[in-house]
Amino acid sequence: MSTNTTTMDFFAKNDKISNIWLILTLLISLFGVYGVFNVLINGHDVYGVTRTVPWGILISTYVFFVVSSTGLCLISSMGHVFGIEKYEVIGKRAVILAILTLLCGFGVIAMELGHPFRMMIYNIISPNFESAIWWMGTLYGVYLVFIIIEFYFLMKHNHKGAFYAGLGGFIAGISAHSNLGAVFGLLEARPFWHGPYLPIYFILSALISGTALILIIFNISYGRPSNLPEKAKNALTGLSKLFGLFLGIIIFFDIWKIITSVYGAPPEKYESVMALLTGQLSFNFWFFEVMLGMLIPFFIILFTKGRNLTASLIAAISAVIGIFYMRYDLVIAGQLFPMREPAPGAHVQSALQNGMVTYSPSFSEISIVIGALGFCVFLYLLAEKYLNLSE
Amino acid sequence: MSENSRALKLAEDNQKLANKRKKAKEKWGIVLDTSKCIDCKACTVACKMENYVPVGFYNYRIWVAEDTHYAKYPVISRSFQPSQCQQCENPPCVHVCPTHASYKTADGVVMVDSKKCILCKYCMTACPYDARYESHATEAIDKCTFCYQRREEGKDPACVETCPPKVRVFGDLNDPNSEVSRLLAYNEYTVLKPEKGTKPKLKYIK
Amino acid sequence: MFLLKTKLNRRKFLAYSGGTLAAGAMATKFSTIKAIASEHGKQSKEPGTKTVPSACAICVNKCSLFADVKDGVIHKLNPNHNFFKSRSMLCARGNVGAKVPYAPDRLKKPLIRTGKRGEGKWKEVSWDEAYDYIVENVIKLIDKYDNRSSIAFASTEGLQEEFFRHLTSVVGSTNSVRHPTLCLASNIQGYSSVYGTLPDADIANAKFVVMAGSNRAEAFITPDTIDLAKNRKEQTFVYLDPRATKSAALADKWFPIKPGTDMAVVLAMINVIISEGLYDKEFVDKYTHGFDQLREHVKKNTPEWAEKESEIPADEIRWMARKFAENAPASVWYPGRRSSFTANDVYYRRSCAILNAIVGAWDRKGGLIPKSGISLKSHEFIFPLYDRVKNRIDGGKVNFAADVLPEYIKSNKGMPKDEVAFLSEADGSWVLFRDAILKQKPYPVKGMFIYKQNPVESVPNRAKTLEMLKSMEFICTIDIQMSDTAWYSDVVLPESTYLERWDPAHSLSGVAPVVIFRQPVIEPLFDTKSMKDITVDLTEKFLQKDAFWVDAWEEDKAYMEDYVKTFKGVPMSHIIEHQLSDYPGAYKMLKEKGCFYKTDKIPYGKTLKEGARLKTKTGKIELASVRYPEAGLYALPVYQKPSQPPEGKYRFVVGRHAQFTQANTQNVPYLLEAYGHYENMLWIHPKSALKQGLNDGDYAIVKSSAGEQKVKVHVTEYTRPDTVFYLHGFGRLSKWLTNVYKVGASDAEILEDYAETISGNALLHETFVEIKKA
Repeated sequence: MSTNTTTMDFFAKNDKISNIWLILTLLISLFGVYGVFNVLINGHDVYGVTRTVPWGILISTYVFFVVSSTGLCLISSMGHVFGIEKYEVIGKRAVILAILTLLCGFGVIAMELGHPFRMMIYNIISPNFESAIWWMGTLYGVYLVFIIIEFYFLMKHNHKGAFYAGLGGFIAGISAHSNLGAVFGLLEARPFWHGPYLPIYFILSALISGTALILIIFNISYGRPSNLPEKAKNALTGLSKLFGLFLGIIIFFDIWKIITSVYGAPPEKYESVMALLTGQLSFNFWFFEVMLGMLIPFFIILFTKGRNLTASLIAAISAVIGIFYMRYDLVIAGQLFPMREPAPGAHVQSALQNGMVTYSPSFSEISIVIGALGFCVFLYLLAEKYLNLSE
Repeated sequence: MSENSRALKLAEDNQKLANKRKKAKEKWGIVLDTSKCIDCKACTVACKMENYVPVGFYNYRIWVAEDTHYAKYPVISRSFQPSQCQQCENPPCVHVCPTHASYKTADGVVMVDSKKCILCKYCMTACPYDARYESHATEAIDKCTFCYQRREEGKDPACVETCPPKVRVFGDLNDPNSEVSRLLAYNEYTVLKPEKGTKPKLKYIK
Repeated sequence: MFLLKTKLNRRKFLAYSGGTLAAGAMATKFSTIKAIASEHGKQSKEPGTKTVPSACAICVNKCSLFADVKDGVIHKLNPNHNFFKSRSMLCARGNVGAKVPYAPDRLKKPLIRTGKRGEGKWKEVSWDEAYDYIVENVIKLIDKYDNRSSIAFASTEGLQEEFFRHLTSVVGSTNSVRHPTLCLASNIQGYSSVYGTLPDADIANAKFVVMAGSNRAEAFITPDTIDLAKNRKEQTFVYLDPRATKSAALADKWFPIKPGTDMAVVLAMINVIISEGLYDKEFVDKYTHGFDQLREHVKKNTPEWAEKESEIPADEIRWMARKFAENAPASVWYPGRRSSFTANDVYYRRSCAILNAIVGAWDRKGGLIPKSGISLKSHEFIFPLYDRVKNRIDGGKVNFAADVLPEYIKSNKGMPKDEVAFLSEADGSWVLFRDAILKQKPYPVKGMFIYKQNPVESVPNRAKTLEMLKSMEFICTIDIQMSDTAWYSDVVLPESTYLERWDPAHSLSGVAPVVIFRQPVIEPLFDTKSMKDITVDLTEKFLQKDAFWVDAWEEDKAYMEDYVKTFKGVPMSHIIEHQLSDYPGAYKMLKEKGCFYKTDKIPYGKTLKEGARLKTKTGKIELASVRYPEAGLYALPVYQKPSQPPEGKYRFVVGRHAQFTQANTQNVPYLLEAYGHYENMLWIHPKSALKQGLNDGDYAIVKSSAGEQKVKVHVTEYTRPDTVFYLHGFGRLSKWLTNVYKVGASDAEILEDYAETISGNALLHETFVEIKKA
C-alpha cells in the first residue's frame, strides 16, 4: 500500500460534466423530498400498497438499485479480480456506481420499511437466521463494506488490496443478490415466485444491468462514443457482446418461465403470468419489459455485432428502462393473485371483478422513486466530475 | 389514554404474558362448524373491540367470507366461512421474519412482538391466508392472537365467546378430554390450504 | 278502552271514594320504596379493572352483559353466560356498545335551535334553560288550543320509556304514539285472535320449521336465530322470501314466493292437512273452536290454486303440509316479529296461527309456546286528571280511515273503513295519527315530544313526516344522537347512554322468562341525563307554574309533588330492590349474575291443563273468531289477492341486516365495516336490470308516488325479478350522523304510507317503484 498518496490520486476535475446536468438532477431528486416528507408526516397511508399487495414500487425500485449494484460489481470484477486486463479500465467507475446505487437502494428501502432504525438494532440483537431478508440485508451490508474498500484500493492503485476486496465483494454480492432472489423464491404461498428460479434469474439479470450501466456511464464520462479512449472502446466492445449474450440467455429464461406457468394452467402461477401477458401488467410487460428490455437491445447488439458503440449505448439505455419495469412487474405480478378469494365479506383489499387484486403506485411513492433515481444520477455525476475515475 | 396507546399496551402485555407462559403445555386450536354460521359478524366486531383493532375496512384480524356454491335464480346455495390467522404449526410468517418479531409462543400461538417489528411486511407476503395487516395503533404488523390476554383467566377468545350459535369451539388440542379434541375425533374435518404445508390449528368440521 | 273513558271512570272513583285518600295511599307506597335502605355508593374512578353486569339496549332483546372496565374506560362488553335467553352471546351491535358512550357524534349538551328548522344551527344551553323553554312552550300550547292533547308524544320501547309515558301523563295528553304499528301490531292482533296471545316458537326443539317474512338470520339475533342455526343438521327448515337472504342460506329449501301471497300457501296447507285427515283430531276437538267452519272454508284453497297465487309448486305445498303434520307437535309456522307487510296481514297471521293449531303444535315441545313473565312490583304512577283533555285523534271513528288502505282492498268487506277495529290505546296507529295531525282532524295537534324514536326515518313517506313536523309549533326530542327527527326539533335533550345510567328491572317475557336491569358501567361522560331525571325535573318545573295546574285537582298536584320528591330522592337501586321484593334473593342474584330467573326450563302445557282458559272469548283456540264478526270482520281468514306491479314497475320490499334493523346503528363505523359497504344498494335481478339498462355499480333513481331516491345498483340473482330491495336507514337528513348523512338511499322517503285498519299497522310492502338510470 502506498503511504504517501497525493490528493491528485483521488480527485480530478472532469469538464465534460456540465453544471447544468448537476443542477437538473439535483432538482429531480428534490422532487423526492415531497414523498419523503409526506410519509414522515402522514405515515404509510400515503403509499398505494395494500393488505393484499404489501410490496409496491419502492420494493421493486430497491431491487432495481441493488440488482444494478450487484451487476456493476460482478462485471467490474472481471478486470481486477479475474484478471481479464481488457476490463480493468471499467473498475473505478463501475464500483463507485455500485456503491451509489446500493446506497440509493438502501435509501428507498428505508422509506418503505416502517421502522428502518429499529431494523438496525434488531437485525443485530434478534437475528433470525431462517429469514432470507435477514441474510439479504446482512450480506448487502457486508457487500457494501467490501466494495467501499475495493473502491479505496482501486483509487490507490493497490491491485492486491483491490483483488481481495473485490473478491470479497464478488462473493458477498453473489450471496446477497441470490438471497434477494430467495426473499421471493422461498415463499411457498406465492407460486409465481416460489422455487430456485428467482435466485438464479436475479444473478443473470444483474449481469445485464451491470453491463448496460457501464455502457452508459462511460459515454457520460467522455461525452460521446467517439470521445472514448481506445482502451475503453475495447472494453465496451467486449461488454457489448457479453450484453447481447446475457440478453439472449434471459430471453431464453423468460420463455421457459412463461411456458411452465401457462402450460396446464398451474394454479396461481397461471393467473399471475396472464396478468403479465394479457392482464393489468400487459403494457408494462410487452412494451417495457419485452420490447425495451429485451428484444430491442438484443437485436441491436445482434445486428451491430456489438461493434457500434453508439448503437450499444442506445441498446443499453433501452435495456435499463426495460429492466426497471421488469423489476416492477416481477414484484407486483407475484402478489396479484389474492391469498383468499375476494368473496363478499372476505374484505380482500383492492380486488378486481376477475378475482385478482390490483396495485397502483401513489404519487408519494412515485415521487420517492423519481427522486431516488435522480439523486443517484446526481451523485454519480458529482463523482464523475470531481473524482479521478480514469486510469 | 388513547385507543392507540391501549392497543400498544395490550400488545406489550401479551409479550410479557407469553414470557410468563414459557412452560405452557397446551396447544390451542379452534374447531369450526360452519353449518351454523349466519354471517352476523358478531365475531369480527367483538375482535375489534377486544383487541383495539382500529376502525378501517381493511384493518381486521378475523373475517367471515361468503362461500357461494351456486347462484342462479331461483337456485341459490351458499354458506359462510369465518376465519382468521390459522395459527399454523409450521408458520411461514415466523420463518421469514428477520427479527423474530413474529414468533410462536410455548402454547403454539403465533404472535407479533410489536417492538421488534420493522414493518418489512415479509410476513404479509409469506402468509397464505392474508391474515395480517399493518396496524396504525401498534405501528407494527397485527394479527389474531387467540386473544392471548385471556389465556391466564382461561376465557375463550372474544370471537369464540360472543358467537351466537357457537360456530367456533376453542380449546387445547393436546388434551384428549377437551371439546376440541372430541370434535376432531368424531367428525371429519379439513384445514385451509393443506397443500401449503402450514399445518393450521383451525379445523373445519365437514 | 280509551284513555279518556278511563279518566272519567277514575274521576268518578275519586269523587265518590275520596281522592285525598287515594293520593295518600300512593304516598305511602313511595315511602315504602324509600324505606328499603342499602349501600349504593358512587362509582369509583380509581384505576384498575372491574366487571360490571348490566344489559344491552341497542335492540329490543336487552341481552344481559358483563362490561370490562379498565381505568374507568369501557374496554369490552362480554356476553353473560348466566343469561340463557341470549344463549351466551353478544351480537355485533351489542359489541359496538362499548364505543357508544365515546361516539364522536353523540349528543353532549342540551340544545336549543337558533336557525330555521333543519338548518342545523344550535346553541348549547344548560338543562335549566332547556327546561324553562320547554315548560313555557307547553303551557303556551295548552292555553292556545285549550287542550292538553294538542301535544303529542312519540316513543319507542326501552326501559326508560315508562318515564316518558309518565311525562305524557303529567302533561295530560291522550295522544301517545308508539312503534308497534310500524312493526308487529298485525302479528299481535292475528295470533291473539286465535290464541289470546302472541306466542313464541320452540325452535330449539322443533323438527320442521317454515319461516315466511321473517329473516331470522339477519334481523335481530334472537334465541330463535341461534337455535335455528344450531339445528342445521337435525331440523328441516323451509324458507319463503322473495329474496335469498342469509336465512335462505341456512334453509333446506328456499322458495322465492310471490310477495303478499303467503296466506294462499298456508290455506292450501290447511286444506291438505284436513282433506288428508292429517290433523290432530283429539286436540282439535278438545281445545279449538270452529273447526267445521274452517273445514268448509278451506275446501277451495287447493295446492293447485295456491301454486297459481304464490308460484310455489303444488307438490311442494303438499310436501310441506304432510311434513308439517308428520312432525307435529314439533312443527312451527314461524310467527315472526315485524308484520307490516300487506293489507291482509291480520288475516294472514290468523291463518298461520290456525295451521299450527290444527296439528296440535301448541304449548307442546317443539311447537308454539305461550310466553310468560315474572311479575315485578311496579312503582305505580297515577296520571293527573285534567279538564282540558280530548280523545286521541286516531281513536274511535276516523272518517278518513279508508284513505289509508291500498286501492285493491278497499272493496274488501272484512276491512273496516271508518276506524281501526282494534287500535291499541297506548300505541295508536302511526300512519293514521300523522294524517290526523296534518288534516287537523278532529282538532289541531301542534306540539310534540319524541323519545328515542325517529319517525322521520321510520314512518313511511318521509316528506309527509317532515310536513307534520313543519306544522308543529314546538318539538322536543330526547335521544343520545342527533337523529333526523332531532335535527328538525326545537329542543334536543341528550339522554345518558344505557351504559351510563340506571334502568329499572324488567321481565323479559318468553317461553322461559328472565329479569334484567341496568346500572352505570361508567359515569356519564357528558352533561346528559336519563329519561327518568328529565321527567322528574320537568314535572318539578311544571309544579312551579300555577298556570299549568288550573284544570287539575289539588290532590293530583300533591301527588305530583310526592312523585318528584320520591324519584329525586330514591336511588334506582332501591326501586329495583322494591320491584323484586316478592322474590327473596332475587336482587342479589340480579346484581351478581346480571339476571334473575326462576327456571330456565320451558314449562310446556300450562294452557292445556284441565280448566285452563285462553284469553279468547270462548277460552279456546278460536279457529273461527267470535269477536271478529261482532266487529264486522271475517271470522275466518279470507285470502285477498294482492295487486301486482304494473309493467315497468317493481314491488319494493324492506328488509333487515344483522348490523342494522332500525335506524339507530347505521352511523357506527364498525357496523358499516361489518355490513361490508358504506352505503346501501338496490337489489335488482339481472333480467330486470337489463330491462332498465342498469349495470352493477351504476346509480339509479328509485321513484314512487311518495318520493324518489338515488341509490347504487347491485345486480343480483338473490331476488325475484319483480321485486327490488334496499336496506333501511341510509340516506339520512341529519348532518350529525356523519357517516350516513346523504349517503345511500332512504326507504322512508319512497315508501307509500298505507295501513290496514284492523290493527292499524303500516304496510311496507305495498309500494311499487319505477327505476331509472341516474
